[in-house]
Amino acid sequence: MKGLLYKDFILLRKQLTTYLVFLIVYGGFCVAGVFPLSILVALVAVLGLTVPLSSVATDDATRWDRYAVSTPISRRGIVAGKYLFAVLIILLSGAIVLALMLALIGTGLADGSMGEALLALPSCAFLTLLLNAVTLPFLLKYGAEKARAVSMVLFVSIFGGSILVGGLVNRGLELPALPHWLSLSGPVLLAALCVAAYLVSFAISLEIYNRKEF
Amino acid sequence: MNNALEISHLTKDYGSFKLDDVSFTVPGGTIMGLIGENGAGKSTTIKCILNLIHRDGGTITVFGRDTLREERAVKADIGVVLDEVLFHDLLQPRQLGKILSSLYPNWDNGIFEHYREKFGLTGNKTVKEFSRGMKMKLAIAAAFAARPRLLLLDEATSGLDPVVRDEILDEFLAFIQDEDHAILVSSHITSDLEKAADYITYLHKGRVALSGAKDELLDSYGKLVCGRAELERVDKALLGGCRMSQFGCEALVKDRRAFARRYPALTVDSVTLEDIMVLTGKGDAQ
Repeated sequence: MKGLLYKDFILLRKQLTTYLVFLIVYGGFCVAGVFPLSILVALVAVLGLTVPLSSVATDDATRWDRYAVSTPISRRGIVAGKYLFAVLIILLSGAIVLALMLALIGTGLADGSMGEALLALPSCAFLTLLLNAVTLPFLLKYGAEKARAVSMVLFVSIFGGSILVGGLVNRGLELPALPHWLSLSGPVLLAALCVAAYLVSFAISLEIYNRKEF
Repeated sequence: MNNALEISHLTKDYGSFKLDDVSFTVPGGTIMGLIGENGAGKSTTIKCILNLIHRDGGTITVFGRDTLREERAVKADIGVVLDEVLFHDLLQPRQLGKILSSLYPNWDNGIFEHYREKFGLTGNKTVKEFSRGMKMKLAIAAAFAARPRLLLLDEATSGLDPVVRDEILDEFLAFIQDEDHAILVSSHITSDLEKAADYITYLHKGRVALSGAKDELLDSYGKLVCGRAELERVDKALLGGCRMSQFGCEALVKDRRAFARRYPALTVDSVTLEDIMVLTGKGDAQ
């Protein structure tokens, strides 16, 4: 599996410039005051979803899996490699975004609350894990093209929905208050739900992959 | 002598095509050539050995180990060159070596470097910059570096020029000097197999049309070249297939000695693997 992760990261290196441009452009917008600093958090979701997707797309294009399955690594190892890669990308992009936010707040280039950023970042990371839990089985079953559509719909629904609800709340919409225990344990429950969904998703993907023919 | 590969009653039904009850054995220290027309089932057989597809029936063992029950151990003993190069375009051979070294437990980077040097695959070029022949050489270098006991080659030499093919055939011959090694090679280039193979299995429409030692096959089969009238007098049970043209007829004779005893006036020429394939195919079409 180590070799598969190495391959995915080597191939990712070739796209680093694109992702770097992403960070610079969004960072610039935050400095210019066009977007709030918290928008950077969404980059974790963007990277956490698009990088695993493009990794599978690259494998599809070269039909790499046909070779990988003929080697001693098991099908389980191949699927586990993709799931682990997605987790590592979320962690890595989370770390980069955090560093960028700290740098912008620390240097006074952008306004924002450190506490809010520290709360939003793990929430977004776990949410991205949940989104990957939904898209990865599609990705392995139908390939990158179809999974891209699923991924886009999910992304737009969740993040668009959040922005919409946020906007409505700002205009005076009153949401029902959460029970006290839920607001306290909410983040932990969300994290647990995301991790559980990811594990279930892995089991589903493994079943899909075991049935595949190359 | 131990068998490197035993395939017994292998069946895979695609609906439109069926690999039907295929059985053959590759003894250690030998090269088995798998021949057949396009769509005869050569690649399907190799895919079944590697569990790339799910077979419907039959058993496959590699050095006595079942390929389903002991899949990972079996695959550690197999070096693979498939009919297309499946390495990512953006990888350099050195990076590919690093990736494969963690997939194959017996990987020997020294061997990989040796073949990279030998095949001119050094430098920082990426796979994308290689010709088809170079890509095939890279796949062959990787297959050797896995230190396999069984090499599976699916049309591995088809993209190579005759000089390189000859060079690679020499490598294959050196590989099987060890009795514990064997090669199964599917190829359309029957002249290569005539040069290197010890055994031949001919797949025709998903079934084994013939299988045996190459020298015995080439010795027992023959090609009858005669006129239409003479052909009509011959017992069809002695023939494997024939093709007719305005200039005469060519027929595959299954047992040239028995044929010569029965029809001493007719001349039977020696046969090539290509003759066997073409005449069997033609006979089937007629």
